[in-house]
Amino acid sequence: MSVVRTEADYAPGAHNAPPKILLVDDRPENLLATEALLRPLGAQIVTAESGEAALGHVLEHTFAMVLLDVQMPGMDGFETAQLMQTRPSMQGVPIVFVTAISKEDHFATRAAGLGAADYIFKPINPDILKSKVKVYLDLYRQREQILSLNATLRQSNEELERFAYVCSHDMQEPVRMMNTYAGFLAEDAAGKLDDGALRYVQYIRDNAVRMQKMIRDILTFSRVGREELHLEAVDSQKILDEVLAEVRDVIEARKAIVTSSALPTIEASPTLLRVVLQNLVGNALKFHDGSRTPEINVSARRAGSRGEPMWRFDVKDNGIGIDPAFSERIFTMFQRLHRSEEYPGTGIGLATCRKFIRLCGGDIVFSSSPGMGTTFTFTLPDTGRPQ
Amino acid sequence: MMPKGALDILLVEDNEGDVEMTRRALSRATTPCTLSVANNGNQALDYLHGEGGGGMPHGRPDLILLDINMPRMDGKTFLRTVKHDDSLKAIPVVMFTSSESPADIRECYESYASGYVVKPFDGRQYAERLDQVVNFWGKIGELPNA
Repeated sequence: MSVVRTEADYAPGAHNAPPKILLVDDRPENLLATEALLRPLGAQIVTAESGEAALGHVLEHTFAMVLLDVQMPGMDGFETAQLMQTRPSMQGVPIVFVTAISKEDHFATRAAGLGAADYIFKPINPDILKSKVKVYLDLYRQREQILSLNATLRQSNEELERFAYVCSHDMQEPVRMMNTYAGFLAEDAAGKLDDGALRYVQYIRDNAVRMQKMIRDILTFSRVGREELHLEAVDSQKILDEVLAEVRDVIEARKAIVTSSALPTIEASPTLLRVVLQNLVGNALKFHDGSRTPEINVSARRAGSRGEPMWRFDVKDNGIGIDPAFSERIFTMFQRLHRSEEYPGTGIGLATCRKFIRLCGGDIVFSSSPGMGTTFTFTLPDTGRPQ
Repeated sequence: MMPKGALDILLVEDNEGDVEMTRRALSRATTPCTLSVANNGNQALDYLHGEGGGGMPHGRPDLILLDINMPRMDGKTFLRTVKHDDSLKAIPVVMFTSSESPADIRECYESYASGYVVKPFDGRQYAERLDQVVNFWGKIGELPNA
């Protein structure tokens, strides 16, 4: 175990207690003097007159740092440090040795081997001791603050995601009712309503259908990360073929040409690959102005560095392209660059893709020349499996 | 089993809109049906045990259509209760719900649901699915006893 206290231990805002310093010295007069010297720094000071007593305190408290006298009768400073560090709560806590022993190398080596953050030589220079302790306290406070902020952030993120999930789940019902009953109205009142009224009913249905799509997309988005990722051997060519079969009507209607070079079988989440390819191929088919035949190519190759091997997938189209000014916005939820009458959509697809891919340890970017086409590139870790 | 006039259905559903939709669909179904409605699991149990003014025209219903999310006793609890009751467990129960969650589907089948239908978004499709389900259970009732 390398880091013992994690964000999970930090209830937001619960960490206003002063940091604690443990002073260990067999001579009470030394303890008194050091305590008086450090008191203005605002830390709570706990003292121990022996290694044994120090170990007892370590069981009860979490310290920001330890000032440890090396030469003590019974258990000396080195032994004490060694035993202290077997305590989970002491992992990462800086220990500063205080010693009158000469500055020989073997001492420094031994101290360093025991995880000493520093050592101070007797006779102690009060200003140096004070400023060193202050540095460690500042580091400790900063770290606490970051951990606490992270915990707060994580909590509010979780709340938001839960909110999105519950909202979208419960919103499906009323939208379904609106759509169904507007449909019944159109059926039942077909002979009684004039064309204008029937058009209004159709607006209700169209918009209910649109809202349903948005809700479904938000649900998919919020499910990413909520549900466990299942990594398995996935034939990406097969997934692409299935995705293409789903949009065969669109491909035929637009006379689009979709090509792919034998895509690999990789270890990944099949849901991820399907969602990502659905969105990228769907976008590649959609964003055309009709001036030329849509051509889409999907390819994959090994990429990344030796320490971090990746699979790189490219989805290339010859569509209307994307203004580079929108490079970041395009992955943000609900960002649409076109009127829905021109290119319908909910503006959630790419946000979902990016969330999913990043969760899996990859990333997604695009390159584009407006009017010429776009290539979306995403990467996924290459686990080396299946061989 | 002797063929009889109509399939007796008990719908356990709290949403008025869905009740109306089901009533409408069944009135046009290819299999003649009678419909009784309970708004939650408790009401349905009272009904099946003949309390609270219950009592189906032909005794036990031939089929129960069951929603999941309901106040008081929800659909899953009701399903388990029915399937652990010797006098009721033979009644087929088909789930009609908006939940697409794989966990819900699995749980219902593990509790001996006879079918699981996600309520279609479109009213016509809803009616079609319901017609298919009702037709199937009507046909099953016409099979001669082995």
